[in-house]
Amino acid sequence: MKRTSMTAALATTALVLVSSACSSGSSGESSDGPIKVGAINGVTGLFQTPEVPQAVKAVFDEVNAAGGVNGRKLELISIDDTMNPQRSTEAAIDLIRSKGVVALVGSSSAVDCGLNRATYQKNNVVSIPAVGVDAACFTSPNIAPVNPGPFTLLTAMLYYASETLGHDKVCMDYTVLPGSGDGVDKAVKEWSELTGKKLAHKEFAVGEGDPTKYLVADKAAGCQAVLYNGPVGPYMSQAKTQGMGGVDFIFGANSYTDANAKAIPAGMSVYAGTEWQPYTDETLPGNKRWADIVSKNKIQKTAFSQGAVMSADVFVQVLKGMKDPVNRSSVTKALKNMQPITYPMVGTPWVFGPGDVHNPVKGSRFVKAENGKWKVLPEGFVVPGQKS
Amino acid sequence: MVNSVIAGLTSGGVYALLGLCVVLTYRLAAVVNFAMAAVGAMGAFVMVSLTDAGLNVWLALPAGVLAGAVLSGLLGSVLVRWFGGHSQNTKAAVTVALYVAVMAVGVRFFGSTTTGAHRFPQPFDAPVFTMGSVVVPQSVLVSLAFAVVITAGVGLLLSRTRVGLQLQALSEQPSTAQVVGIPAPRLALGVWVAIGAITTLVVLLVAPRLGGDFSTLGKLINTALAVAMLGAFRSLPLTLVGGLVLGCLEGLSASVESVQSYQGVVPFLVILVALWWRSRHEVWDTAHSR
Repeated sequence: MKRTSMTAALATTALVLVSSACSSGSSGESSDGPIKVGAINGVTGLFQTPEVPQAVKAVFDEVNAAGGVNGRKLELISIDDTMNPQRSTEAAIDLIRSKGVVALVGSSSAVDCGLNRATYQKNNVVSIPAVGVDAACFTSPNIAPVNPGPFTLLTAMLYYASETLGHDKVCMDYTVLPGSGDGVDKAVKEWSELTGKKLAHKEFAVGEGDPTKYLVADKAAGCQAVLYNGPVGPYMSQAKTQGMGGVDFIFGANSYTDANAKAIPAGMSVYAGTEWQPYTDETLPGNKRWADIVSKNKIQKTAFSQGAVMSADVFVQVLKGMKDPVNRSSVTKALKNMQPITYPMVGTPWVFGPGDVHNPVKGSRFVKAENGKWKVLPEGFVVPGQKS
Repeated sequence: MVNSVIAGLTSGGVYALLGLCVVLTYRLAAVVNFAMAAVGAMGAFVMVSLTDAGLNVWLALPAGVLAGAVLSGLLGSVLVRWFGGHSQNTKAAVTVALYVAVMAVGVRFFGSTTTGAHRFPQPFDAPVFTMGSVVVPQSVLVSLAFAVVITAGVGLLLSRTRVGLQLQALSEQPSTAQVVGIPAPRLALGVWVAIGAITTLVVLLVAPRLGGDFSTLGKLINTALAVAMLGAFRSLPLTLVGGLVLGCLEGLSASVESVQSYQGVVPFLVILVALWWRSRHEVWDTAHSR
């Protein structure tokens, strides 16, 4: 009997200790110790952005080396969701409930926003993705990415094709992912309303396999410009074979990589829209800050790492301006009430702000492939409907 | 629409090649090999990784083919050693599991779809002639020629050589073949190694045209199986024609806007129609009773 009582007492004590430890760290309400910040990144799997958490951590390390935020260090907890929906939902719950993060900063997952938007809202936690991929990243109350996103970019790409390049017959060869159809339709509609033009030809089901059939249809429709968002090498190689040297091809930001520039055959006219200042020219406004930090930390220079540095920078700036103790609810409140931040790496100021929809950054800069490299074009940020 | 069908036809040789590899594995090793394209993709990516690292293409090519052959041989040895006496259904299920494993490893190592990080050599890219408004490149003719060579070569091997006879015996009755002195396990392993090498070559040939990412290449097994169905998993000439038919159907489906979004269903529909056509003379309730 005595032993049973002792065991029960010990178990109760342990339970109380564990629960008190959990409650102090898991709610994100702790106002001392390191400020825990979460991120869900695609590091392995189909959508790989390993440089993103590295760059966010590099910014946090820099802040910590300078004394932190009001004496508190920043701690990044990044989880690789491998583009696996189950892992992504588990990661969000783990970060919020077990790790006690105050916010998510620098996420770069292809599935995070759509799956976890409700979790973020329910737990009153905000996310500032470095790379917003799906439509839910831009239409959720608690998520505000630092990139324009694929749909705003699409409007800018169409606008560039018709207004800057002056083409009447603009076409699209696009892979529209499940759940993205409405976003694409809306982006095309917005362009039509601004310019009074309509697509001359569209293929919204460009899948895997030989692209020749799509290119032949583009030729038949007399397309002067074709927007495309799939793998570059095979498509451009077949476009060259089909004699489409006179057509302007415009790719999305996902194709703006050094390797793709090399994959474009000579004699083809290829542009790419970017979401931040083109990363291939480090002298552009805002790029020096990014280039310095990724070079110093030996991180791969990509557009995604630009988003990583920007998301970390704007978060730190808001944090440093807070008067309340830093915890989850105060961080959420500060971001929802913040003033816009002018960040020269993007076309328009970034702000989290109140509201149910967050797509603060607009506009795109364009680069052109020349001799296996991307050359930055001089127009500056192209914001549809806005004179530059 | 005619141009789209012609454009689709240019993919037909590629599809035929993939279908032929499936039929070959079935006829020679008595296994429906779901892991085939993924294994070929692995070999192809070993090669392209070596060329990306600066190795000469003529040194990287045999290394990639060897990698595909060795991996296929390993999978084959698993099937021969542990599942030799099992039914074809079990063996097919094992290859599905192996497909999942090889895909997971391949995507992990060679991942990402649009960065253009891996570039396959394109030795047959030059235009040859124009049909309608479709320019036909050398690669189409090379694919078709390769498919015809495999069809004719394997046909001759099976019908005119002793090894061919032994392979047929091995495929039809493995245990009986062993009893009469045919070295069944060794022969079966040889078939797996050869299929791995051929598939790697086929994937290397089609990769520049169909997309340079591991996932796309590994999933080509869907198309390959549909083409193999058209050849009833037996006839090499019919499989060759099946590849061309599937290419035309794909081109046709891409040209009709209302069905454009459902192009991916084409291989599945082909399988369904092929099954229905084959079973049209069967008596109800007597066939496929198991």
